[in-house]
Amino acid sequence: MRYPRLIDDRSIWIMVAPSVIWAAHFLLCYWIAAIWCAKEAADGSAPLQPVTWTVAGVTLVALGLIWALARHAWGRYGGSLFITRTIADDRAQERKHFLGHVALLLCALHTLAVIFTALPVLVFDRCW
Amino acid sequence: MTAFQDLPPPPDYDEARDRAQRERLMAVWHTPTGWRKFSAVNNEIVGRWYALTAFGFFVFAGILALMIRTQLAVPDNDFLSMELYNQVFTMHGTVMMFLFAVPIFEAVAIMVLPEILGARDLPFPRLSAFGFWCFLIGGVFVCGSILFGAAPAGGWFMYTPLSSDPEQTGIGTDIWLLGLSFIEVASIAAAVELIVGVLKSRPPGMRLNLMPLYCWYVLVVGGMILFAFPPLIAGDLLLEMERAFDWAFFDTERGGDPLLWQHLFWIFGHPEVYIIFLPSVALVATILPTFARRPMVGYSWIVLSAVGIAFLSFGLWVHHMFTTGLPNISLSFFSAASEAVALPTGIQIFCFLATLLMGRSVGSVPMLFTGGALAIFVFGGLTGVMVALVPFDWQAHDSYFVVAHLHYTLIGGMLFPLMAGIWYWYPFATDKTMSERLGRWSFWMMFAGFNIAFLPMHWTGVMGMPRRIWTYAADTGWGPINMVSTVGAFLFAAGFAVFAWDVLRPKRNQPPTRRNPWDAGTMEWAKEVPDKPWGCRSIPLITTRYPLWEQEDIVGQIDRGEWFLPDAQEGKREMIVTDILDGRPIFVQRVSGPTYKTLLAAMFLGACFILATFKLWLAAVLCGAGFTATILWWLWTATARIPEKEEKDCGRGLRLPVYMSGNASVGWWAMFITMVGDMTAFFGLVFAYFFFWTVHPEFPPEGTRSPAFSWLTLGMVLLVAAWVLVAGARRWNGQAKTGRARAALALAGLPALSGLGALAQACLVSGLDPTRHAFDATCWVLVLWLGAHLLAGFVMLGYCVARSWAGILTPRYDADLRNSALYWDFMLATSLLVYALLALFPLLSEGGVA
Repeated sequence: MRYPRLIDDRSIWIMVAPSVIWAAHFLLCYWIAAIWCAKEAADGSAPLQPVTWTVAGVTLVALGLIWALARHAWGRYGGSLFITRTIADDRAQERKHFLGHVALLLCALHTLAVIFTALPVLVFDRCW
Repeated sequence: MTAFQDLPPPPDYDEARDRAQRERLMAVWHTPTGWRKFSAVNNEIVGRWYALTAFGFFVFAGILALMIRTQLAVPDNDFLSMELYNQVFTMHGTVMMFLFAVPIFEAVAIMVLPEILGARDLPFPRLSAFGFWCFLIGGVFVCGSILFGAAPAGGWFMYTPLSSDPEQTGIGTDIWLLGLSFIEVASIAAAVELIVGVLKSRPPGMRLNLMPLYCWYVLVVGGMILFAFPPLIAGDLLLEMERAFDWAFFDTERGGDPLLWQHLFWIFGHPEVYIIFLPSVALVATILPTFARRPMVGYSWIVLSAVGIAFLSFGLWVHHMFTTGLPNISLSFFSAASEAVALPTGIQIFCFLATLLMGRSVGSVPMLFTGGALAIFVFGGLTGVMVALVPFDWQAHDSYFVVAHLHYTLIGGMLFPLMAGIWYWYPFATDKTMSERLGRWSFWMMFAGFNIAFLPMHWTGVMGMPRRIWTYAADTGWGPINMVSTVGAFLFAAGFAVFAWDVLRPKRNQPPTRRNPWDAGTMEWAKEVPDKPWGCRSIPLITTRYPLWEQEDIVGQIDRGEWFLPDAQEGKREMIVTDILDGRPIFVQRVSGPTYKTLLAAMFLGACFILATFKLWLAAVLCGAGFTATILWWLWTATARIPEKEEKDCGRGLRLPVYMSGNASVGWWAMFITMVGDMTAFFGLVFAYFFFWTVHPEFPPEGTRSPAFSWLTLGMVLLVAAWVLVAGARRWNGQAKTGRARAALALAGLPALSGLGALAQACLVSGLDPTRHAFDATCWVLVLWLGAHLLAGFVMLGYCVARSWAGILTPRYDADLRNSALYWDFMLATSLLVYALLALFPLLSEGGVA
C-alpha cells in the first residue's frame, strides 16, 4: 500500500501543521526550561544561558518550518494571505485555494505565537 | 468544476409516487410511542432529551448558586453549615462544568448538526443514545449524593493532597472521580460521533469551503474533547488508585507529588473552557448572518480563529498554577500563550461586529442575547488578559476577582449565546415560537442581574475576599458589596425562570410556526412543518454556503423528492457518506433504529462505576461483564451486516455501494478517533512518569530496581508476535485464506496474554510494590493500562473469529476485522512505549541493565 503525501493539495493536514509546529515548539521550550531548572539549577542560582541558546535554536527551526509550510500553502495550494472576494465557489480548485488561504493565515498567527513563546528567554537570566 | 455536472434531470412530479415514498420513509424513520419512546435513537429525540436533562442539571446547580449567595449575603452567616457549604460550592462548579456546559454542546450538536448538514441522522445514532443514558445515570448519581450529605467537598478541581486522603475527604471524592469518569465516556462518545458526522456525513457537494461555520466549530471542539478529556481520565485513574488501593502517586512521603494532579487536571481544565466557549460562538456565527441578512464577513478568518484557539488553548494550563512555585521562566511561557490566545479570540469578535455593521440588522430576542453575550464576554476576556499576567495573578489568585472573571467569560461566552440559540431554534425543535415579550423581560432581567451580581465581585476580590470562603467577619467591610451581589444573583435567577417558563409553558393553542420563520440561509430550516422524523425528504446537492438563500427553489426540490435517497424501498434507515474534502458520495450507510440495548448497556456500565464507588468489587466486575456482553450483542445484531445487494440507486443516476470497510467506512474512522483519545489518556500516564523523573534527583530512587529487563524484552517480543498475527489475519482474510486467518486470530491471544504476564513478572521479580513509592506505582499503572487494553483486544479477536464462523465476516465484508486490526496497531504503539519507558529509559538514566 502506498501512503499519500501528508501535506499535499489533496490533504487537509496543512490546516493542522502550523499549529502542531507551534505546539511542539511550545512544549519543547517548556520542557527544556523545566528540566534545566529542576536538574541543573535546582537552587535557582545557575545561569540560564544554555536554555536561552537552545530555545533560540528551537525557535529558529520552528519559524523555518512554518515558513516552509507557508510557501507550500502559497505554491501548491495557491493560497494568498489576503483575499478580495469570498472563496465560496463550487469548484475543487476553490476548495484548494481556501485551504491554502486559511493555512497561510494560520502560519501568520503561529509565527506570532512562536515569537511570543520565545520572548521570555530574553528577559530572564535565572530560573527564578 | 462540480463533480455533478452531468446529473440527469429529476423525474416529473408524480403525487402518487411522492405519497408512497413518504409513507415508506415514515415507516422506516417512525419514532416509537408511549413507553417504547425510551428505545428511540433518532438524533432529534435524543438531542431534545439531552438538552432538557442538561438544563435540569443547570437549574439544580443554579439553586446551589443561590444557596451560596444567600450564605454570603451578610457577614457571620450560618444559613449553611461549613460542611454543607463546601459540598454546595463543589457541586455548583462540578455540575455546571461537567453536567451542563459540555453536555449542552453535545445536546445542541446532536439535535441540529444532521439537519444543518442536510443529513438524515448522524452515523452512529445508537452511540448518541448510549452517551445520553450514561450522562443521565452518572449525573443523577453525582447530584443525588448531596441529598445524603455525601457530596464531594474538595472544590470542583479536587486538588490533592486533600482529595487523595480518604480520611480528610469521604466517599464524595470517589463519587466525583468515578461518576465523572463515567460521564466523560459519554462526552468522548459524542465527540467521536460529531467528528465523524462533520467529516463523513456532509451532503453531496458540500466542500470544506462551503461548510457552515457551525460545523467547523463542532469539528474543532470534537477534536479538543479528544485531547483534553483523556488526561483527566488518566488523572482520575491515578487518584482513585491512591484512594482505593493506597498506590503512591500524590503522597510526598512516598515520592509522589500533589502537583501532578494539578497538571493533569488543568491540561484538561483549560481547554475545557474553550470547549465550552467555542460551541456557543458557533451559535452566534449561525444566528448572526440570519438577523444581519447577509453572509458572515470573514468566513476564513473565523475558521482560522477556531483552529488557532483549539491549539493555543492547550498552552494555557499552567496559568491556573502561577502560585505553585514553578520557575518563573516556565510561568512566562504560559503567560505568553495566554496573551497569544486573545488574538484569534478577538478576530472572531471583529468578524461578528463587521457582519453586523455591513448587514441590515433585524432586532429580535436572539440578537439581544447575542449583543449581551458579546458585551459581557469582551469584559471577561479583558480581565482574562489581566490575570494572564503573572504579577497581577499573584495578587488576584484565588480571590473573588477570579470568580468574577470566570463568570464573565462563561456566562458571556457560553450561557447568553446559548439562550439566543434556544430562542432561535425553538421553532425548529417544536414548530412553535417563544414569546417576544417574555424574551425581552428575561434578557433584561438576566443581563442586569448578572452585572449586578458579578461586577461587584471584582471589588470584593481586590479587597481581599478569597474564593470558597464560608463566611466573613463584619469588620472586613465586604458585607454591603456581597449583599448587592446576592440581590443581582436572585434577579438573574428570576430572569432565567421567566425564560424557562416560556420554554416549558403549554402552547397547544398556538398555531404552528411558518416554515423557516427567520428566513435563514442554512439547511436545517428546510425542514417541513409539521416536523417529519426523517430529517431531509431528499438529500440535495449543495453548491453554496447558504443554500436556502443562494440555491433557487432548493426547498421545493427537496420536498418533491427530486434529490438523493428520496425513498426507502428496502425498509432501512439510510444516509450518504461522503469524502472529507469535496463531499463526493462514497457509499450508503445503513444506520440502526430504535433499541433498548443502549439503555441496558448504559445501566450496566453505570452500575459498574457506582458499585466501584462503594468498593463492591465483585458486583462491579459482574456488571462490567454484563456491559461487555450487551455491547457485543448490540454490535453483533446491528453493525457490519452483509447487505442484500452490492449497490443501490440513490436517484438522479447516482449508484452507490451499500457496504464499505477499512478507511472508507465510518466505523474505521470512529475506531481511529477513539484510539487517538485513548492514546492521549495513555500519554497522561507517560507524562506522570516523566514528571516524577524531573522532580526526583534519582528516578528510579536509590535502592529500587527497575523492572527486569529480560522479562520486559520477552514480553515485548510476545506482544509484537501477537500484533503480527492480527495483521497477518487481516491480510489472509483479504486473500480469502479464511482458515489461516481464523487460526491466526484464535492464536494471537496467546502471545498477547503471555506477553502481558511477562511484563507483570518483570515488575514482580524486581520487587516493585505500588504502595511503596511513586516509581513502583507508575510502572505498575503502565502495565495495568496496557493489560486492560490487551484484554479488550482479546475480546475483539474472539468476536472476529465468531463472526467469521458465522459467515458474517468474509473476505469481501471484513469491516470488523479491519477495525480490530486498527485497534491492534494502536496496541503495538502502546506496547512499544511501555517498553521504552520501563526497559530503555532506565538504561539512559541509570547507565546499566537491571
